[in-house]
Formats: sequence, C-alpha cells, structure tokens
Amino acid sequence: MNNLVDVAIQYGPTLFDGLKVSLTLTLLSLAFGLPLGLVFSFGVTARNKTFRYLSVFFVEVGRGAPALVLLQLMYYGLPNAEITLSSMASACLALTWTTAAYSAELIRGGIQSVPPGEVEGSHALGMSYRDCLRFVVIPQGLRIALPSLMGFAVLLFQATSLAYSVAVPELMSQAYSIGSSTFQYLPVFIIAGLLYAGISIPATWLSVFAERMLSRHL
Amino acid sequence: MIEPTIRTGTPVVQVKNLAKAYGSNVVLRDVSLSVPEGSVTAMIGPSGAGKSTVLRCMNLLEQPDSGEIEIDGHRINAGRKPNPKNLAALRRSAGMVFQHFNLFPHMTVLKNISLPQERVLGRSRDEANEKSMELLKRMGLADKADQYPSRCSGGQQQRIAIARALALGPRVMLFDEPTSALDPEVGVEVLEVMKELACTGMTMVVVTHEMAFAGNVADELVVMADGGIIEKGEPGQILQDPQHERTRRFLRAVLER
Repeated sequence: MNNLVDVAIQYGPTLFDGLKVSLTLTLLSLAFGLPLGLVFSFGVTARNKTFRYLSVFFVEVGRGAPALVLLQLMYYGLPNAEITLSSMASACLALTWTTAAYSAELIRGGIQSVPPGEVEGSHALGMSYRDCLRFVVIPQGLRIALPSLMGFAVLLFQATSLAYSVAVPELMSQAYSIGSSTFQYLPVFIIAGLLYAGISIPATWLSVFAERMLSRHL
Repeated sequence: MIEPTIRTGTPVVQVKNLAKAYGSNVVLRDVSLSVPEGSVTAMIGPSGAGKSTVLRCMNLLEQPDSGEIEIDGHRINAGRKPNPKNLAALRRSAGMVFQHFNLFPHMTVLKNISLPQERVLGRSRDEANEKSMELLKRMGLADKADQYPSRCSGGQQQRIAIARALALGPRVMLFDEPTSALDPEVGVEVLEVMKELACTGMTMVVVTHEMAFAGNVADELVVMADGGIIEKGEPGQILQDPQHERTRRFLRAVLER
C-alpha cells in the first residue's frame, strides 16, 4: 500500500502527462471522426456510386480491421509508400478511421429511426431536402444515436492505450516505461487503470445525463 | 384572419389522366379532377380505392407514372423529372394535413409553425412567430405555443398541423384523412376548424370517411373505387341517390353500421 502511494507521488506527474496525451488523442479522433462518420452514414446509402462505394469501403475496413492493425499500418506500413507520419499523427489517423466507421453505423441507425412521416411533412411544406436534413432528420437522428456514440467515445478513450505500440507517449506507454525502469509494474498499472476508470466512469454518467436532457420533449 | 375570397370558379387544382401502378398492382387509372377556387371537394370511397394516392400525387409526395398536375399555375408532367424550383413552388401552393399529423416532435409548437415560414418564405423569426401566434389563437391553442407536440392531445396536434400548413399561405389545403387517427369526440374539434376554414373561402380537397362533413360542407363529392373515379357531383344528390352500384354498396356499408 505504501508502495502504491510512493509510486503515485513520484510518477504521478508523468502518468498525468500521459493521460493528457490519451485525452488529446481521443478528442482529436472524435473531432475528425464524427463529422466524417456523419458523411459516411449518408454515403453508405447514397445514390451516387463513387460516394457509396468509397463510404462502404471506409466503413467496412474501419470496423472490420482491429484498431491495433490500423495503428501499425499507419505508423509502420505507410513509410513503405513514402508517407511518413509522426507517431501522434498516425495514431490520430488510425483512430479517426475507426471512429468514422463505427459512428457512421451508429448515426445511420439513428437517422433511419426518424419517422418517414416527418420527412414527408417537411417536403409537403416545401422545405428543401437540405433543410429537411438539417432541421428535422439530423437533429433527431443524432439524439437517438447519442447514447451509443458516447458509449463509443468511452471505448475509444480506452482504445488509445493501443497507441503505446506506435510510441505515442500516452498513459499506457508512460506506465509501461515507468514499470520497465523501476520494476514496479503492479502499482504503476493499478494507478494507470484507476486513471482510465476516473475518466471513463464519469463519462458514462455524463452520457446518461445528456440522454435525459435531450429527451425532454418525449 | 384570411379575407373571404370571391368564388371565381377558376380551377386552383387540375389533375389530368393520372395513372400509377406498383408493378402489376394498378392503384390509379386515368384520374382527372378539377377543383375550382374557393370550393371544397370531398373524396370518399372504400380503402384501397386510391383516394390518398391521388391526394399525395397532387403535391408529388407520390410520383405518378403518367398524367399532369397543375396547382395555382405550377404545372408538373409525370413523365419528366420535375424541375426542383417548380416542384417547390407547387408544394408551397398546397398545404397538406396528414392522418398522423407529422409534426416535428423535437421542436416546440411555435417552432413547428415558425420554422417552415422562415425557411420556405424567408420570413424573419419575429414575423414568423407573430403569424404563428395569430394562427394558434385562431385555433384556440395560444397557450400551447411553448409546449412540445407530445404534450398535446391528438386533436390539438392536428390543429397545430393545420396552423403550420396555413402559415405558408397556401392556395389550396389538402387533407388526408385528418380525423381517422382521432377519437370521434376529438375529431369534432378538427372538423370545426375545417368548417370554419371552408367558410373563409379556402379551397380544400379532403379525403375522408366523415360522411356528415362530406355531405354538409363539401361543394363536390368524388367517389373513388379500384383506382378510378366512379362518380362525382353534388354531395346531397350522390348520398341520397347514388347512380353507381359500387357507390351504393359503399354508402350502405358506411351509413348503415
């Protein structure tokens, strides 16, 4: 127990820096991945063939391939094609892909559950297709998808730990390097686990709260 | 309030030789209909007759296979792909009220009525809200402005839907079984609003099973069966002395239950 406290005091700041990198990576992947997911959610059912096939490709590969494979592909694989990215950039790219792919399906599910009568209603009023999406379909579709999107965000945050394999100095890799230089693996991984939980659990509460806020009209 | 219009008799809605089939299932065969300005046309007939389909073809919610539709001078030919501008103009001229209201559940009642005005007519928010409140007062629903539709009864929701359509100043109102999803008692409040609307000279096409409304309010009654119009004319005449055997059978079924 003393050991745990000692390690926490001595390596806390380093682990905390790692946590900040993990959070940055999560937020960046969400910031790029969610809008892309929205685009793909329409792409997979689009009439335009190029758009549809491209969307299906990105969604299926993003969901079919493990995040670890995508990470390694971006960091170790791309240099063979003369594209060299920093570890952070390649991790961000890989996790953005994963986010876009999963969120596309979650958003599509939400959007498809908006009653078609409301779309007809807006058409009958003479509203444009764009306005119908913007004011009627997307707000409601996103609301329906939001709880699962927030659940996904928590999983993504935990998945950033995979980025330790491409030398991103996030929480897991900080913990690992502290462990390997001090052999205090047990306390350091316990602290790292607590830090992950300290973000994930309140985030889950937040998603329950957000769901309630957004369902006030029901 | 809407000023009473003079019944000039020029058609606001004209439907010519409308036909539609889903595969081998023919839902409309050669339907032609003309609705004079200021008149109320009621469409009755057994379910599956194609009444709602005709109505939904009028504002192109349903794409007919052939025929021609003209509302307030905006003409659309079924064969060709409609020009989006023309389609929008046609839809603006026709207000539609659905069986299931089709309000936007995530917006307040006021927003439901104001948003289309802002987006379709380009009214400012204040202008739109003013118009919406005026209509809500007319519907007796001013106190519901800040509620969400789910907090309103079916009859109230349908009146909100009518207000939403009226707010855009349509030349004709299309009603697709507006009381079928409502309890009979609640349906009355919607029918009252529709009667009042008819009195102010609004051109209306009403698909309905409310025989009393069809008989008392409508200027013309259209009886449909099997995808075609089998009889049309003065409502009292048709209800009392139907010429067609199919009409007789239908009226017996609805009136003598």
